[in-house]
Amino acid sequence: MKRPGFTLLLVCALMLTLVVGGVSAQEATKTVVTGLHMVGGDIPTIDPHAAETSASIEIINQIFIGLTNQDATTANMEMGIAESMDVSEDGKVFTFKLRQDIPWVRYNPETGAVEQVTDEAGNVRYVNAYDSVYGALRGLAPETASPYSYVPLPYIVGAAEFNSGEGSAEDVMFKALDDYTVQITSPDAASFAASIYGLWVLRAVPQWAIEAGGDSWTEVEYINTFGPYALKEWAHDESITLIKNPFWPGTDAIPQAKIDEVVFRFLDPQQQFAEYLAGTMDAIQVPLEEIERVKADATLSQEYIVGNQPCTYYIGFDNTEAPMDNAHLRLALSYAIDRQSLVDNVTRGGQIPAQWFSRPGLASAPTLETHPDLGVKFNLERAQAELAMALEDLGLASVSELPALSLAYNDSSNHGQIMQAIQQMWTENLGITVTLTAMEPSTYFASISEDAPIIYRAGWCQDYSDANNFLYDVLYSKSSQNDAGWNNADYDALVEQARLESDPEIRRDLYAQAEDILVNQGGGIAPIYWYTINFLVKPNVEYPPSVTGNEAYFEWDITG
Amino acid sequence: MGKFITRRILWMFLVLFVISLITFFLMRNVPGGPFAREKPLPEATVKLLNEKYNLDAPVVEQYLDYIGDIVLPRITTGKLTPSSAEDYLVSIPLSGSGEDQKTLQWINFGPTYKSRSRSVNDIFRENLPVSFQLGVAALTIALAIGVPLGTIAALKRNTIYDYIGMGTAILGVSFPVIITAPVLQYLFGVQWGLVPVTGWEGPQYAILPAFALGFVNAALIARLTRASLLQVLNEDYIRTARAKGLTERSVIVAHALRNSLIPVVTILGPLFAALVTGTFVVETIFGIPGMGRYFVTSITGRDYPVIMGTILLYAFFLVVMNLLVDLAYMWIDPRIRFD
Amino acid sequence: MAVLEQSGNTPGMVVQLNEKRKGESLWVESWRRLRRNKAAVVGGIIILLNLLVSIFAPVIALKPYDKQVLVDNNAAPEWVTKVFPNMKPREEGGYVTVNNSYPLGADQLGRDMFSRIVYGTRVSLTVAFVGPLVSILIGTTVGLIAGYFGGILDNLLMRLVEIMYAFPTLLFIILLMTFFRTSFANPEAGTLAYTLGQIDLASGGMLFIFIGIGLTSWMQMARLVRGQVLSVREQEYIEAAHAMGAQTGRVMFGHILPNILGPLIVAETLTIPTYISYEAFLSFIGLGVNPPTPSWGSMIAEGSRTISSYPNQAIFPALALFLIMFAFNFLGDGLRDALDPRMRGVD
Repeated sequence: MKRPGFTLLLVCALMLTLVVGGVSAQEATKTVVTGLHMVGGDIPTIDPHAAETSASIEIINQIFIGLTNQDATTANMEMGIAESMDVSEDGKVFTFKLRQDIPWVRYNPETGAVEQVTDEAGNVRYVNAYDSVYGALRGLAPETASPYSYVPLPYIVGAAEFNSGEGSAEDVMFKALDDYTVQITSPDAASFAASIYGLWVLRAVPQWAIEAGGDSWTEVEYINTFGPYALKEWAHDESITLIKNPFWPGTDAIPQAKIDEVVFRFLDPQQQFAEYLAGTMDAIQVPLEEIERVKADATLSQEYIVGNQPCTYYIGFDNTEAPMDNAHLRLALSYAIDRQSLVDNVTRGGQIPAQWFSRPGLASAPTLETHPDLGVKFNLERAQAELAMALEDLGLASVSELPALSLAYNDSSNHGQIMQAIQQMWTENLGITVTLTAMEPSTYFASISEDAPIIYRAGWCQDYSDANNFLYDVLYSKSSQNDAGWNNADYDALVEQARLESDPEIRRDLYAQAEDILVNQGGGIAPIYWYTINFLVKPNVEYPPSVTGNEAYFEWDITG
Repeated sequence: MGKFITRRILWMFLVLFVISLITFFLMRNVPGGPFAREKPLPEATVKLLNEKYNLDAPVVEQYLDYIGDIVLPRITTGKLTPSSAEDYLVSIPLSGSGEDQKTLQWINFGPTYKSRSRSVNDIFRENLPVSFQLGVAALTIALAIGVPLGTIAALKRNTIYDYIGMGTAILGVSFPVIITAPVLQYLFGVQWGLVPVTGWEGPQYAILPAFALGFVNAALIARLTRASLLQVLNEDYIRTARAKGLTERSVIVAHALRNSLIPVVTILGPLFAALVTGTFVVETIFGIPGMGRYFVTSITGRDYPVIMGTILLYAFFLVVMNLLVDLAYMWIDPRIRFD
Repeated sequence: MAVLEQSGNTPGMVVQLNEKRKGESLWVESWRRLRRNKAAVVGGIIILLNLLVSIFAPVIALKPYDKQVLVDNNAAPEWVTKVFPNMKPREEGGYVTVNNSYPLGADQLGRDMFSRIVYGTRVSLTVAFVGPLVSILIGTTVGLIAGYFGGILDNLLMRLVEIMYAFPTLLFIILLMTFFRTSFANPEAGTLAYTLGQIDLASGGMLFIFIGIGLTSWMQMARLVRGQVLSVREQEYIEAAHAMGAQTGRVMFGHILPNILGPLIVAETLTIPTYISYEAFLSFIGLGVNPPTPSWGSMIAEGSRTISSYPNQAIFPALALFLIMFAFNFLGDGLRDALDPRMRGVD
């Protein structure tokens, strides 16, 4: 029932792509075919309040816009559906004035066009403050059980109580003052709270459609959206097609879409690469194994783009368990990792050797320009010196008397290779033999949150663009995400102070001090590399490289 | 005969029940849970999710609820939304409307924790037909190549035909699909552009995956056919038939081939069940929206209702096929009796 | 059973009549027949060679299998770049680092492929032997009993088989292995669980792969055996054996088993690639051998991801696999011909 329509569309899309790739630029629709790597086959959801994977969020970012919006190319916070934001003097009350010209829309399969949604009286429904409040409360409601509701909880008065079922919705200080004014009250004056208010988990959703469609409301038949794109087709386990929403007014931050349709095919990286070579996809992520070939190929190397991704790959230590509770031992292991060799020879995707935890590019995070010598770099002498001190602390004569150590990781993608390379570096540089424990992913993740393995692999990507999301949310001593059990009073004081500081430069400096304690003095974790994203994009596609890990397709274009 | 079939069908339900029981308690004892994430969810959120999916109830109660949702028809009162209707395979509105809507609903295999908008029934509805088509195509190819290849090899034993045929067959089973599928895809799809690389939009999309799957099994069938036929050809009744002066052709077709099919038929039952419920590697490599991936991803993601659903589905196909296999035995070899 | 004059010349009868010579003549003649079969002999030699390779791996391998030279990642010798034309060397504007000290190339971490294939023989051969062994032992016993006795016993056993069988094999292995691995991950020292966990660790995680594969692969054998027995048991020489007062056990193992061995051996040799590809598949989804232990399966699984850029990394382990499959198949064929009493004098 669904598939023939899609077939036709895809055939059209493919034909168009071919035409676009050729000389003629006369066509009416511009289509980009791109890919999403879905481990489960299908994209899990496009419900903003159920979303947790970056694929879901990427789609949601095109069809639902938050009060605020993070620019994909600069990572800066801009206005989303709000036209202005007013912050009270104490920095705790945020008043958003919404635009009044953003209509709810739906795709009509019969006419093949996007149309505006009307209410019972036949009037066009515009996104208003009540939609926004309904969305936020739905995202926070305990029955929704949103996997991301925990992120905004500390920044909205009454939200934590409501979410845990102890408080009521009325007490959540996310209020509509009038049809187009939303006021949010935060318990603390956190400078980055405004970017959290733009998160998907708080976005406006269509109450009427959700009541009519139940859990199926995200299917094309029922969904109403309001972003620069609208949902045209969701062929489960196969693809999602977005179509340009001509009724999106186009704001300074989010212009009207230039490309008419974006097709997201759910394929593994290898298959995306094959399709790209066959000329049937326009923008893909390069499988790591093919990067050398892409770089050497005369054509492909011209289409290869390396972008930044706000994620950090690191090795975690169980700071609470012997012998890893010894800071010198942790530092010895950390300093013995040749990160440059690792990114050059193993990952090969232009990743950046990480000197500290908070990914540069996040608001207020130290950068390599501001703090070139901060943190940890491969340093054999330092590693061996730390090891000597560690052995002395532990009262051991030699490395061979160390208790057996094992490095646990989830056996998926190329983690195994990275871990094997690190294992050998430790053997060669320190003489420490660490056994590798490859674990089935789900078991591994469960074991990390229950009781972290003595040494383990981990990664962290931003929820919102601020160093606080890394240094406070993950490694603050009382954080629920603090699997490493890192606990340092000076560190805690610094990140607490930075959290409520408003001057970005002072914050950056505070975070730099915290990082120094974390990776250089205490060795709480061993940062390995900062992620990049490796794209292949056909030359006729105009692609503003994203630094947030998510693409903004409304910024893309196809040129003759 | 009728009694035999009735008894087997009753057995079938018992088998399915035992399988559901074992699977349920086995999977619930496997460590990790549906909400274990690389970025761990806070305990409070996991608690909310467990409440939402009734995972905080005692396991026995959860099992009974699960089985009840499948076996027992029920009349529900409440607003009938598309999702609450699609949760059940059978959903018949009775009376009333809006909040007072009374509906007769039956057979609900539960939600999937991976997707808010779909249920296990949705996966069956949309993905099973795809895997079924591919499976049947692959099996047809396997039989069409395998049986003649095996027969020729057996009849022309120790000749060049035998060697070539069996060489091809061994080639087929010896190279894993993990290698052959991407090679086929790269050569025919990318290099020569003869067929689509991935996807499932029409018959041309089935060619490569059906061959990749079919060839491996053709090899299996060819070898079995050959071995079995060789054995049968040495049976006394074949010698007798030959001695009686029957033509070689009628000896082979009427007596030998039929009897030699027993091992092939034995394999065919489970093979059919496995093929039509989808295969992970081929579906992943060729981007086919079938069932196969769910067999693996449901386990790795601890998506309990999907694990149960896929295993029960496979089990159902299997027991039905095995019943048919036993009936086929009787047709092929009238000497076989079932007491 | 009335037609004794027809069954008089079946081998089963001959053997039955010559009680004393039975064992000897059967196996001696089988051996003689096996040796005459050139393909089987070649197969046997290949398997023997593989066994030797796995035993003397440290002598044969040029380099340690786990020694990484990171800068040599994905390196290939010159001849490989000639065989696979898309693997153009860097000097010619390609992407392949040419290094002739790796006879088959280096993998993604710069480890010698040849040495890894040599060591990989150990895991793969063990999988190839242990899997079928467990499967034959359990499967044949169950199948023989079910087929021979029929009735309620048959029904019960076949339902058991159906229940076991109805779990998709891979699923069952995943469940079992995750269960085993985590259950045996941190037990008290000195307990059985601890010992098993240690053996598994020492074998690179293979122990639980074997147990998983063994426990899930005997059902097909059981059904096959039963099917064969059903068709054989009514044949005249069996009835004759009964009539002459032979005991049940003797009829089963002495008469029925040799007569159905052919298809069993063929089926089993044919499933050996399946066992090995299970191992590859398990590596694929994160349940394989613990690195850096090399196995052909995991090498193929890893190589398959790079197959368009570095085909050598998948093809060479696949060829090793292919060679041993060929050997097992020819040997299996030869064994069948040799062991099947009714094949006597056919050649």
